[in-house]
Amino acid sequence: MRILGYARPDGQVGIRNKVSIIYTVDCSRFVAQKLKLMFPEHTQLFGYPGGCGFQEGPVNKVTALGNHSSSAGAVVLGLGCEGTDAYKVADAIAATGRPAEAIKINEAGGDIVTIEKASRALVSLIQQASTAERVEMAPADLVVGSECGGSDATSGLASNPLTGAAGDLLIEAGGTYMHEEVSELMGCADVLAERAVNVEVADDIRAAIEASEKACFEGGRFSWGYGNIEGGLTSIEEKSYGCLAKSGSKPLEGVLRTYGSLAGRKGYFISMSEPGSGTFSGDPEGINQFAAHGCHLAMFTTGCGSTTGGLIPVIKLLANPNRMQLIADNVDFDATPIVRGERTLDEMAPELYQEILAVAAGKLTKSEIHGHFEA
Amino acid sequence: MNRKAILLNGQDDVATALAPLGRGELVEAAVGERRVEVTLLEKVPFGHKYALRDIAAGEEVLKYGLPIGKALEDIRAGAWVHVHNCRSDRFGHRHQKYGVNA
Repeated sequence: MRILGYARPDGQVGIRNKVSIIYTVDCSRFVAQKLKLMFPEHTQLFGYPGGCGFQEGPVNKVTALGNHSSSAGAVVLGLGCEGTDAYKVADAIAATGRPAEAIKINEAGGDIVTIEKASRALVSLIQQASTAERVEMAPADLVVGSECGGSDATSGLASNPLTGAAGDLLIEAGGTYMHEEVSELMGCADVLAERAVNVEVADDIRAAIEASEKACFEGGRFSWGYGNIEGGLTSIEEKSYGCLAKSGSKPLEGVLRTYGSLAGRKGYFISMSEPGSGTFSGDPEGINQFAAHGCHLAMFTTGCGSTTGGLIPVIKLLANPNRMQLIADNVDFDATPIVRGERTLDEMAPELYQEILAVAAGKLTKSEIHGHFEA
Repeated sequence: MNRKAILLNGQDDVATALAPLGRGELVEAAVGERRVEVTLLEKVPFGHKYALRDIAAGEEVLKYGLPIGKALEDIRAGAWVHVHNCRSDRFGHRHQKYGVNA
């Protein structure tokens, strides 16, 4: 499969080519959404859905997303009186060589003038983006995440192990693979520490999981209930292993705690959200966290039928045959043959890996076609 | 042939039913080179586990190649494995506080 990426001035290569529309405060979100709807195909929308005060975490994340490999440039929209300075966000993006323009609504003169100025800027940036140099990418250049949401019994049995096996294939080709959700790795500290490439990484993953376990014990909010037991899960460990099944079998190279810390390294990683950097919630947050860590695309396993999309292409996998009848419109990869007992994980993993390459080469996912923007 | 159960790791002591399975049913589960056929001693609901071998009380029970708990009693090959005969040491003792029955 020939993958032609989009070269960025900072050396990154993206699999999509979008101009970012960024809002720096709740008050500029409305105008940003209007602009997104004016140019739905060529832009991506995100921002900091918070108030006036400056917070470093979300701003780091918004900047990381603006400097993502798929982002060709940015229009940053502020209201003007908030602590997060739209000009500074634009400067941080411009520092990577990407064209970026900031507009503050109460300097520009209200909604209409802002939309006029911003839309004119977007037309120029979109046209500029369309001339981006195309360069060939190898599977080794790809960074792919795996997330589960709306899980059921089939997630841990079929779809999660399937993404792990596809992740293994990507790593064997020289690429990078990650998953997140440390809070669902209860009892997995020893296993992951044994897979760590060195003592530092082993200590790091142990510390991350132990902190999460401690919070669960103290808060009394384990994700565990009678539904799990009725579904056939015997212990929290068993449930966690279903989540851990996304990890595949390769050595753990590191725990990504800050955006930018991947820094071109290859292999298997666990990613975490930067403290206080949450800009969305739930699964869309997870997808955008992958993007902030540099993922080109993500696999997303669901049993109940989540329809979530995000800033990066999402390959939605479903293994529950009953649910497939209801939610097929949103599913990109049909893993039901495993649960129907017709195919094995080993047989299907190379097909999922090929789907990753196809999406990297430009094949649109359902959430992209539907025009999802969770922002 | 449609498989009735899934075996996730060659080291595992249990396989998971891909359909509701009945007592006396002969079920095969396979992964890689390993292929295990057992006759079920009792019914096993969809998503639940059965033992692939005789497991002694106190032994760890492996699924995904990892311990999901210890056998609370001797478990015979073909028996349903769940919270009544398998428990996690690490989190299981917290069951009263968290409503966990495991």
